[in-house]
Amino acid sequence: MTPRTIVLRLSGAPKSKKHGWQAIAGALFVLLVLAASAYTFLYLKHDPTLTDLRGRLHGASASHPLGTDHLGRDVLTRLLLGGGQTIGYSLLALGAALVIGIPLGLIAGYRRGWVDRLFMRIADGFLAFPDTIVAIVLSGLLGAGIGNLVLAIIIVKWVSYARLVRSTVLAESQKDYIRIARTNGLSDARIMTKHLLPHIAGHVLVLASLDIGKIILLISSLSYIGLGAQPPTPEWGAMLNDSRPYFQSRPELMVYPGLAIVSVVLIANMLGDYLRDRFDVKKEVQP
Amino acid sequence: MILSIEELSITGRDRTLVDNVSLAVREGEFMALVGQSGSGKSLLSQAIGQLLPPNLHASGRMMFDGSNLLDRKPKEMRALRGSRISYIFQDYQGAFTPFRSIGAHFDEYQKVHGEKSAAVRRSKAAEALESVGLEAKLLRRYPFQLSGGQLQRASIATALMLSPRLLIADEVTTALDSVSGHRVLELLARKQAETGCAILFITHDWRHVRRYANRLSVMKEGRIVESGGKHRILDHPQHDYTRQLIAAAPILSRSLNSGLEEDKA
Repeated sequence: MTPRTIVLRLSGAPKSKKHGWQAIAGALFVLLVLAASAYTFLYLKHDPTLTDLRGRLHGASASHPLGTDHLGRDVLTRLLLGGGQTIGYSLLALGAALVIGIPLGLIAGYRRGWVDRLFMRIADGFLAFPDTIVAIVLSGLLGAGIGNLVLAIIIVKWVSYARLVRSTVLAESQKDYIRIARTNGLSDARIMTKHLLPHIAGHVLVLASLDIGKIILLISSLSYIGLGAQPPTPEWGAMLNDSRPYFQSRPELMVYPGLAIVSVVLIANMLGDYLRDRFDVKKEVQP
Repeated sequence: MILSIEELSITGRDRTLVDNVSLAVREGEFMALVGQSGSGKSLLSQAIGQLLPPNLHASGRMMFDGSNLLDRKPKEMRALRGSRISYIFQDYQGAFTPFRSIGAHFDEYQKVHGEKSAAVRRSKAAEALESVGLEAKLLRRYPFQLSGGQLQRASIATALMLSPRLLIADEVTTALDSVSGHRVLELLARKQAETGCAILFITHDWRHVRRYANRLSVMKEGRIVESGGKHRILDHPQHDYTRQLIAAAPILSRSLNSGLEEDKA
């Protein structure tokens, strides 16, 4: 990508018509999810763990718009709060992976030499473990819990950011503007933060938005098998698991959280695809 | 004597790229370093600012302002680069970071060299641009909005802004057509007359050497084969290699011949 297109595109110049609807739909859904989370966070006063054994497995009603689950808890309340859990922890894991991966990638790519070799061999080591295995091993060692799950995801995910940033920085730091910044007496730290970091922001944004869906899926699926959020915390994957025995009689109990996971992951991926096309990032950025 | 390089060698892992070179640049002179591509002249210029790639090692002495540049700490070199020793390069298109405005570069370079007041930085930047014949409003533009010639001038303005004692011009005219090349060199010569900085001009173009240089050194395969005053070397070259180089230089003594007459004959 030429520098020229970045600046043009960042300054909001010609939009491609082709992806306009995707962007609008994605933005609307994101707003919807954000609004739901904000509403839940600020106003929702229902207790998601309030059990009512006389009101188990009720259908939709005015007081329980989506019915109640096997312990008589309000499904809508749990769904909304679970969204906060799932998405919140995914963002937390992603943010931490970025905070670790970007500086390491910057330093490795800019310094080269033995620093680069050391960091990248460590990264290769982390890359050798499949994410599910790391999560299971970590839960086995430290105990199951959402905190350890997030830690496992960070351990797996930082590597791809470090590698992406490094490869971009390797190419960019050979260019003349970096050489000239050095000949004008700028410090390495300044060059990295002011002259290289903005360059990689687009790539990282794309990879991150494509990754967030995967992380949501990972948290949900590991919570489903009991390695993530522990009961009675509302979490979509855990809710799926809870309603599994009632699948024959009340399938909607599984449908609601399942649908929530699918739609959020879909939005995240759509947004990622849109950003990728928009920033014109090469295919290699796909995770 | 502003810069005196004594017995400088630059070695890679298994070979010597610059071999025992000695070179002096006097205060305020236009010194040309001439040689073929790959003769080590750019490496020599990088070694002056301690900008060599980490796998190359420089040994010898380089006296600048009474102290050896090779002994200086990286932090001292940073303070020196850009303020006392400046560089201009061939590639003016990529001289500025693409997503930062021209003014941001001027501002940043002054800031890291200790200019605290933003108003002073702004006025100095405008002054520097105007001194190379560009309008101050270009400071708000981005590099891709400038033409090649404007970029080249702007990069000269950044290099000269903090009035360096030594300006290293590494193949600055190679990518330019001959008219623009002469214009850039005229600008350099004029700025030199104003500020009195010394210029180390690295080139393989004899036309520019003949017109602008005071003294010159000829470099071949990492060694300096001959140095001296311009007239002495151009009129009475001692070394075979210098003679070859001069003979190979394109000299337009007559008007440009299209070759039509010869074809007929």
